Amino acid sequence: MATNDKLIQVTDLKKYYNKGAIKALDGVSADFNRGDVAVIIGPSGSGKSTFLRSLNLMEEPTGGSIVFDGVDITKKKVKNADGKLVKLDIDKHRQKMGMVFQHFNLFPHKTIMENMTLAPVQVKKMPFAEAEEKAAALLKRVGLDDRANAYPIQLSGGQKQRIAIVRALMMEPEVMLFDEPTSALDPEMVGEVLDVMKELAHEGMTMIVVTHEMGFAREVGNRVLFMADGRLLEENTPEEIFAHPRHPRLQDFLSKVL
Amino acid sequence: MDHFIQAANFAKIAPYAKLFWQGMAVTVLMSLFTVVIGFVLALLLSTMRLSKAYPLGFLGTDKEGKLRDGGFLLALSRFNPLSFLATAYVEILRSTPVIVQVFIIYYGVFGALVDLPKFTFLGFIKFERFFPGVVALGMNSGAYLCEIMRSGIQSIDGGQTEAARSLGMTQFQNMRFIILPQAIKNILPAIANEFVVIIKESAITYTIGVQDIMSAVNAVRGATFIIIEPLLVATAIYFCLCFPTSKLIAYFERRMSRGDKR
Repeated sequence: MATNDKLIQVTDLKKYYNKGAIKALDGVSADFNRGDVAVIIGPSGSGKSTFLRSLNLMEEPTGGSIVFDGVDITKKKVKNADGKLVKLDIDKHRQKMGMVFQHFNLFPHKTIMENMTLAPVQVKKMPFAEAEEKAAALLKRVGLDDRANAYPIQLSGGQKQRIAIVRALMMEPEVMLFDEPTSALDPEMVGEVLDVMKELAHEGMTMIVVTHEMGFAREVGNRVLFMADGRLLEENTPEEIFAHPRHPRLQDFLSKVL
Repeated sequence: MDHFIQAANFAKIAPYAKLFWQGMAVTVLMSLFTVVIGFVLALLLSTMRLSKAYPLGFLGTDKEGKLRDGGFLLALSRFNPLSFLATAYVEILRSTPVIVQVFIIYYGVFGALVDLPKFTFLGFIKFERFFPGVVALGMNSGAYLCEIMRSGIQSIDGGQTEAARSLGMTQFQNMRFIILPQAIKNILPAIANEFVVIIKESAITYTIGVQDIMSAVNAVRGATFIIIEPLLVATAIYFCLCFPTSKLIAYFERRMSRGDKR
């Protein structure tokens, strides 16, 4: 499914805390192509989440560059079509990057339907009826069409995460970022969320997934990236990563989780 | 010794009922204006307190663009004048008595600095006394409401902002649709309390000659030498104003908590 059409190019990404005393990201470079399902694995504290959250600037990197759709979004100002320097509109770019969080982050004061239609209507100025129709179709796909008028608290964790995924899809993003989407779920609910993600991958959605689900990495991913201590230590196909891990840190990590 | 309360005394003060009605109207009007001023001021102040504007931020990095290790320039770069001003305002207003603030506004600001036109509106409200009272109370409640709003906004989980911004919403849209509706729901009991406090505290403006409920009590006392019964009437009026106010807000609180229950 992956093409050689580069969607995101990350170069030497750095994120320091406390004036460099803590290096959450210590020079990470990686490219993501359209159609990629890239799975980022690694021990906790390795910088996986920070890396993912930097991609849509939820975390502001200390250094390095992220070129998304041909625009370096780490720059405060960019050249527009006329070659003039204008302020970078990060909100515009974030519309094209859907994000799914570990703790769902549904809006508790809004119904499921409102959760899904709010951003398209307010941000993209989509007519409400059209947004509602689109939301209904997506809800049907994840088998939750009967919960449109429920509030998030009335749903189980797995249902909430499925809603969070389709809420992000409402904006028709070019890439979906998943930040440990199943880590806060009860074990019996992990499957239903992974199924939705698998389906999405098979449809050709570009996905970058931080997860501890090695089964998902092996089965669905076309690339696996191993991070430790804020660095990208190994990158390969799932088959190679799991069958022939090269870096000792990766071998050590796999021996613990598999 | 006389009886504590005498029914006959109520009959004696009955001819002054109009004073109480007018006093009640003044108290209600003053509270409403105070709430509006306080609310607008609090919105402004809490926005200032939570702002992230560092006009001297450029001093924090050296010529090569690296963050400084410390020192005076780094401290200057972290100076947020808007937040500083708002915090100073809030702390000064919270740490001084209301009566002092009312006197300073009435005798100081409007007594010496600004000349107010002297006229009577609605037939019985003296503008030159009513207006300073409203300004003083509004400034005071603005400080308290600011702290309530700030804590309400900060009580919302950061994940809400992240979700909103990741969907492409601007910071303003995030505030308008996600943060404020949840924050206001959380702080409604505290706001209700502040509204009731405003109604009660407005009594203090009778010291600058605003003809509110307390001033009616005083006028009746001066004319009839009766004190307890007018005070009881005033008590009843204040209760009838405050109790429904808190009940009304409790109703809105229930309505807004729809998303909280299974």
